[in-house]
Amino acid sequence: MRSVDREDGPLKVTGAAVYAADHHPDRLAYGYLLTSTIARGSILGMDTGQAAKAPGVLALYTPFNPVKLYPYAKEENAELTPPLQNTDVRYYGQAIGLVVAETFEQARDAAALVITRYSAQQPRASFTDGLPSAAPPPSGTPVVDVLAPGVTSIDQALAAGDVTLTATYSTPVETHVAMEPHATTAFWTADQLTIYTATQGVRLVVDRLTETLGIEAAKIHVINPYVGGGFGNKWGMWAHTPLTAAAARALGRPVKTVLTREQVFSVVGHRPPSSQTVSLGAAPDGTLVAVKNDGVSGKSASNNFYEPVANLSLVLYGSANLHVSRKVVTLDVPVTTIMRAPQESNGSFALESALDELADKLGMDPLDLRRKNDTPIRPSDKLPWSSKHLQECYTMGAERFGWSRRSSKPGTVTDGDWLVGLGMATATYGASRGQASIKVRLRDDGRAIVSGTAADLGTGQSTVFAVLTADGLGIPVGRVVPQLGDSATPPAANAGGSGSTSTNGPAVQLATDAAKAAMVTLATEHDKSPFKGQEVTFSNGEIRGGGREMPFGDLLTLLDVPAVEATATSPRSPVRDHAFRSFGAHFCEVRVNRWTGEPRVSRWLCVVDAGTIVNPKTARSQIAGGIIMGIGQALLEDLRIEPETGRFGNATMADYLVPINADIPDIGVEFLDYPDTLLSDLGARGIGEFGIVGAAGAVANAIYNATGKRIRDLPITLDKLL
Amino acid sequence: MRAFDFAAPRGIAGALRLAGDGSAFLAGGTTLVDLMKLNVLAPEHVIDINRLPLRGIRLGPDGLHIGALERMDDIARHGAVAAQYPLISQALLLSASPQIRNMASIGGNLMQRTRCGYFRDMATSCNKRSPGSGCPAQTGDNRGHAVLGTSASCAATHASDVAVALVALDASVRLRGRDGERSVRLADFYLLPGDTPHVENRLRPGELITEVIVPRLQWARHSTYVKVRDRQSYEFALASAAVAVDLRGGKVRDARVAVGGVGTVPWRLPAVEAALRAGQSFERASALAAEGARPLAGNSFKVELVQRTVLRALMEVAGSR
Repeated sequence: MRSVDREDGPLKVTGAAVYAADHHPDRLAYGYLLTSTIARGSILGMDTGQAAKAPGVLALYTPFNPVKLYPYAKEENAELTPPLQNTDVRYYGQAIGLVVAETFEQARDAAALVITRYSAQQPRASFTDGLPSAAPPPSGTPVVDVLAPGVTSIDQALAAGDVTLTATYSTPVETHVAMEPHATTAFWTADQLTIYTATQGVRLVVDRLTETLGIEAAKIHVINPYVGGGFGNKWGMWAHTPLTAAAARALGRPVKTVLTREQVFSVVGHRPPSSQTVSLGAAPDGTLVAVKNDGVSGKSASNNFYEPVANLSLVLYGSANLHVSRKVVTLDVPVTTIMRAPQESNGSFALESALDELADKLGMDPLDLRRKNDTPIRPSDKLPWSSKHLQECYTMGAERFGWSRRSSKPGTVTDGDWLVGLGMATATYGASRGQASIKVRLRDDGRAIVSGTAADLGTGQSTVFAVLTADGLGIPVGRVVPQLGDSATPPAANAGGSGSTSTNGPAVQLATDAAKAAMVTLATEHDKSPFKGQEVTFSNGEIRGGGREMPFGDLLTLLDVPAVEATATSPRSPVRDHAFRSFGAHFCEVRVNRWTGEPRVSRWLCVVDAGTIVNPKTARSQIAGGIIMGIGQALLEDLRIEPETGRFGNATMADYLVPINADIPDIGVEFLDYPDTLLSDLGARGIGEFGIVGAAGAVANAIYNATGKRIRDLPITLDKLL
Repeated sequence: MRAFDFAAPRGIAGALRLAGDGSAFLAGGTTLVDLMKLNVLAPEHVIDINRLPLRGIRLGPDGLHIGALERMDDIARHGAVAAQYPLISQALLLSASPQIRNMASIGGNLMQRTRCGYFRDMATSCNKRSPGSGCPAQTGDNRGHAVLGTSASCAATHASDVAVALVALDASVRLRGRDGERSVRLADFYLLPGDTPHVENRLRPGELITEVIVPRLQWARHSTYVKVRDRQSYEFALASAAVAVDLRGGKVRDARVAVGGVGTVPWRLPAVEAALRAGQSFERASALAAEGARPLAGNSFKVELVQRTVLRALMEVAGSR
C-alpha cells in the first residue's frame, strides 16, 4: 500500500477549488428562499407588495406566482413534488417562495418583508407519540423470518434460549450539516442550461431537471467538481435547484441561490428517528439461537424514505433463527433521506448494545461473544461471504488496543475524577459493484486525463482515480489529472452507498488499459511512427519496441497528434453465489466525569477489512471521519422536533451539536488489505460509511463499562449519566 | 438586515452625542452583527466605538480595572489577571472560540444577548424581543434554558461566562452617559425578567460601559471556573460555577460562589457562601445551589447538575472536604 497526498488538497487549502456557490457569471442575480412557519396546512395568501418594491428586487415567485415545474417522475430520497406548484404546507421550513434580487442582501431583506397567511392544522410531530400506531412501510416487506427447520416462530426459538434479553433502543433525528451549504448557480445560453450545484452525482441532477424543467437531457450541463461534504444529503435534489434554474430562464440572467445555515436544517433532508426492540436468545456458551429486531422508523409525510433499521440484524451475526420487522411513523416534518450508513448506523447501535448486554448476562467477554457468533455465511440467505477476515480484525484490535485490560466489572476503573471504560463493537458495511464508464485521455504533454461523472465529496475519490490511472500507465500520480463532476463526461457511479471506488475503480483500470491499447495502435500504425509495424509494449509510461523506448507524450508530440483516448465500461458485478460486505472492529475508551457526567472519548482503534485499500492516506481519513460522525451520533446529535409546532427547536449549528476537535482523540485505523477478488480484479469494497457503523454502540458499551449505566436512547448526554 | 447609519467617532463625548433611541454601539460585533443579520436587532444608527480610548488592564490598590474595549483573549492572557483572578481568565478562555475571543470586547460580553432559540428566530414569538407576544420556551425546546430567576414570561439563560466570575467577585461597571458617570455593581446591573424580560439591565438609553472594576480580593488567587457542557469546547454552559475560596490553616474562612448556564442573570449564591463560612461540608453547601429553582420539562436535570458543578468547583479549588 502506498499513501498519496490528496490531489486536490492544495487547491482546497488555498481556496482555488471552485465550489457551486463560488461562481459569479456576468449579470448574476441572487435568490433567497422563503420558508413556511407552520408544519401542516395551506397558504391562504402572501402579501408581497412591500417586498416587490424593495430595492434591487427582480422577481418574487410564490405558489400564487410560480415558475412552472413539471411533476417529478421518480423518487430520489427527496421531495416527491417540485416547489411552489400548490399552496400545501407539509412541514415547517418548506420552500414556499423565491425572491430574486441584484444582491444577496437585497434578496434576504426583501424576503423578510413578505407576510404569509396560513390555514394551519395540528401537525403530527412526535415520533414517540406515534410509536403505538406505527404502520407498515410504504415499500419493502413488513416482516422477514428466517427460521430453522421445525421452528414455527421466532418467539418459540427465543424461548429455547438459556439466556434471553429484550431491550428497546431509540435514536433521534440527525442531520448531515455538511460544511458546504447547498447551493445552485444557473444560467442559460439560448435553450442550453449550465448549472453549478452541490451534488453527489451530476447525473442525478440532469435526470431530475429533465423531468421538472421539461427539457432534453442533452440541453443540461451540470458541473460540480468539488463538494464540501454530502453524507447523503446531496443525493436528492432539493427545492432551490429547480427554482433557481427556472428563475434564471424566466429572468434571462444567471441566478445563484445559497441556502442559509438554518435552511439547511429544513429545506433539505434529515435522518429519521428510530426505535428498535431487540430480543436475543443464547445458549450458555454464547451461541445465538435467536435474533429478533422489531424496528420502527420515522418517515416524512412528504416522501417515502424510511430506515429499515432492523435489517442489519439479519446479516451480521450467525443465528439459526432470525426475525426483523419494519414499521414507520409518518410525521409532518421535513423530508427524511439517506444519511451516512442509512439503517445500519442506527441498526448497529441497537444490535451492538444488545450484544453487550447479553454478554453481561452470560458473564462473557463481549468480544468473545462476537467471536462465537462470527459466521462465514450471510445468515439471512446462507450465501458465503466473499472475503471475510473478521476474526483477524478482532484479534489485532484487541491486542493493539489492550482489550485484556478491560475490567469485566463496570464502574471500577477510575482516573482522578473520571470513570474509565472500554467498549467495542463490530464495524461493517455492505458492498457492491455497479456499472461505470470512464475515459482516459493521453496527451502530448505527457499528462493523462481521467474523467467520468463521479463525485468527490471530500472523500479522496479523485485521488483514487489518479492513483489507479498512474499505476496502470506507470507514470507519477502528479501527471494524472482527474476530472470529476461534469455531466458531459462518461456516466460513472454517483457518490453514495460506499460504491464509488468499488464501481468506478475497475472502470478506471479498464479505461487505462484501453487508452494504452489505443496508444500502442497509434505507435504501430501511424506512418511517421518510429515503431511502425513493430511489436511494442506500453510500460512505465513509455512505448517500447525494437530496442527503442519513448514516453507517450514524446511520441504524440513527434507524430503531431494532440492526444489519444479511450472510454471503457465496467459492468455490474455478475457474481450471484457470494455475498459482499466489509467487516472490522471498533475499540474505544470513554471517560465519564464522576460529578457532572460528561462523557469524553479518550482512545479509539478501528481495524478494517474492506478489501484493497487504494490510497491508505485518504482511506484513513474516511474511516476516521465515519468514527467522528459516530461519536457525534453517540454523544451529541439530536435535532429536536417541537411536538406542538413541528418546528426543529435547535436548527442552528450552535445548538445542533457535532463534535469539534477537542472532542476527538487520536484515532487509530489499521487496514488488513485483503483484495476481494470475487468483487473485482481491483478488490476494493468501499469505505465511505464503514467507520460510522458500530461506533455509537462501541461508545455506549464503553460508557456502561465505565459507569454501570446502560443508556439505550441516543444521544448519551451528561443528563442521562448524573 | 435593515439599512442603518454608521459612524466611528474618536472621542467618548462624540460617541455619546450620537447615541440615543434606535442606536447601538458596535465593539467586536460578535453579538450585534449576528443579531442584525437575523433581524432580531435593527438599529437605525450603529456607532463604532473601537476608536474610543477605552483600553487598558491595570491592577491597582483598589483592584483590577479593565477598559471596556479590551478583547476577551487579551484579558484572559494578561499576567495579573491570570495570577490574581484565575476564575476570570478561565471563564474567558472557556468561552466561544479563539476567533470570537480575539474580537469580542469585555463590555460587549457583558451586554451579549441570550442564546434562546426563540429570541433569535423572528418567526416565533418572544416576550424579550417583542413584549407581550408570548414565551414558547415554557413548553417548547427548553433543554438549555434557565431554572433560576425565571418567570412565566421568560426563561432565557444569560449567556456570559465571565459575568458569572465577575458577579462572584463583586465587580462593578462604570457607565458614561451624556449626564455624567456612575458605577453600578454588576449584580445590580442585571435585572430579572419578571413581566418585562425585554428590560435586561440598568443601562439608560445612550449610556456606555467604559470600564469594569474588580475589587481587590487577595484570596481570589484560589479560584476556578468550571464549565459543564455537552461538548468539550465551543458551546454555552449547561451549568458553570465560579468559585473562590479563602483557605487558611486548612479551614474555609470565606468563599465566593456564582453559577451560570442556569440563571436568567449571572447567579450569585449567598446561601452557599454562608454555609461554607459556617464550616459546612462542600457537599452540604453545594446542595443549596439550586434553591428556588423552577425547572421546565427539558431542563430539570440542571437542578442537580448545578449542585454537582458547584461541588466539583469547590473541590478543584480546595480539595475534598
